[in-house]
Amino acid sequence: MFKRLAILVLASVPFAAGAASDSYTFDPLHTSISFSIDHLGLAMIHGRFSKYSGKFTIDRAAKTGAVELNVETASVDTNDNDKGSRPRSRDEHLRSADFFNAAEFPRMTYKSTHVVFAGDVPTVVQGDLTLLGVSKPVAITVERFRCNPSTATARERCGGSATARIRRSDFGMKRGIPSIGDEVLLSFGFEGDKD
Amino acid sequence: MLGLLDHPAIQSGVAPIAVALIVAASLASTRFSWLAIIPAYAAMVALDTGFSLFPPTVARKTILVGLVAPLVGIAADLYPRASRTIAAALAVLTGLLSIWVFTTVLQNREQAQAVAAGAGVVAFVAVMVAAVLRLRDDGPRAGATGVGLGLAVGIAGLFSASIGALMAGVAIAAACGGMLIVQAGFSRALAPGFTGTLPVGLLCALVAAGTLLLAELPWYALPLLLLIPAATSLPAPTHRLIARIAVLVGYALVAAIIPIGAAWYAARGSFF
Repeated sequence: MFKRLAILVLASVPFAAGAASDSYTFDPLHTSISFSIDHLGLAMIHGRFSKYSGKFTIDRAAKTGAVELNVETASVDTNDNDKGSRPRSRDEHLRSADFFNAAEFPRMTYKSTHVVFAGDVPTVVQGDLTLLGVSKPVAITVERFRCNPSTATARERCGGSATARIRRSDFGMKRGIPSIGDEVLLSFGFEGDKD
Repeated sequence: MLGLLDHPAIQSGVAPIAVALIVAASLASTRFSWLAIIPAYAAMVALDTGFSLFPPTVARKTILVGLVAPLVGIAADLYPRASRTIAAALAVLTGLLSIWVFTTVLQNREQAQAVAAGAGVVAFVAVMVAAVLRLRDDGPRAGATGVGLGLAVGIAGLFSASIGALMAGVAIAAACGGMLIVQAGFSRALAPGFTGTLPVGLLCALVAAGTLLLAELPWYALPLLLLIPAATSLPAPTHRLIARIAVLVGYALVAAIIPIGAAWYAARGSFF
């Protein structure tokens, strides 16, 4: 009887380990945070943030997860650093107090409060985005999420893509509206190795 | 109509000057005519960003300080015999107040950088406020100084990647321009006292310092702004008020070219 009990205990250990939360750190070489915004009702202007850090956790058994992301606002990049005949480039303007106010608010952060799952896969991340000192709830739609198992030479790696929409005026960033759109489409492509 | 109110020229130029004209003309027979500066500036804020106190950013603190300054000025004007002492005290206090205004920016810097930047801003604000307060008994000189300083701060701000500074500077210039028009129209100089000069000097100083810390204004543009109140202290005709105003505005605009040129040079790396 004790032998059967021992076998049962040993057999349940992997399941107990699988019920723990797995944490992944965003890989900067394979993660992108980009945005697009309407300009004069004509073209969409695209940009990205090149400096950020954070991690995501997932517990498939408990159907819970978390995301934490810190983005350096001064890293905004719309591929416009050449002033040409203008006094200042668009990226210099975006860093100023008219937009991201990077000197006063060097970081914007996202912290999740709840993750919605469909089966084992997260589909929606709900959380708070803090930008320019203002925190507002923002839902991120996870369009793809999958994991590659660990191998002899590599750790387990998860990643996917996600999108979100915000109104920048909700955070006090009103300069240029309506010539420059109020709604901003955020796009995330992310990968992370298991910690 | 709503589209017209969205235009920056209306928000920072037409609306403030119109408000200044109406309010100043209404109060011209009192000693409070220069209070018109504040509703004129407030008109720009209301049309541009709206009023909000949270979170307390540099821009919001600057607006708050600008709106409260004339109340302090009214109180200071009650003691004309102590005006020189009050002027010196206000210059020092406003300089120290700028630390509170710029705390959120300075705390993000390395300590040595923060101390240097903070000391520089305190000194600049104090000296600028003192320079403008010196003109408190001379309506034309104060108005011309406000026009020159406002345009210099605004245009230098535009070249330094700050449309907010442009809007604020042009609004102050427009408001002071309105005060000059009222004086010319009534053929009577209206002494601004502390009521008028404190908000003008303080707002221009804080907007300029803010453009340095939050945008791309070069540090050397700040002391060059002091050339404007120095220029409007030069001799001007006394026999006709309109001629006096015209000459003083001319001095102010010529002096304004220098800090504007400095901001342009910093942006372009050359003057051409």
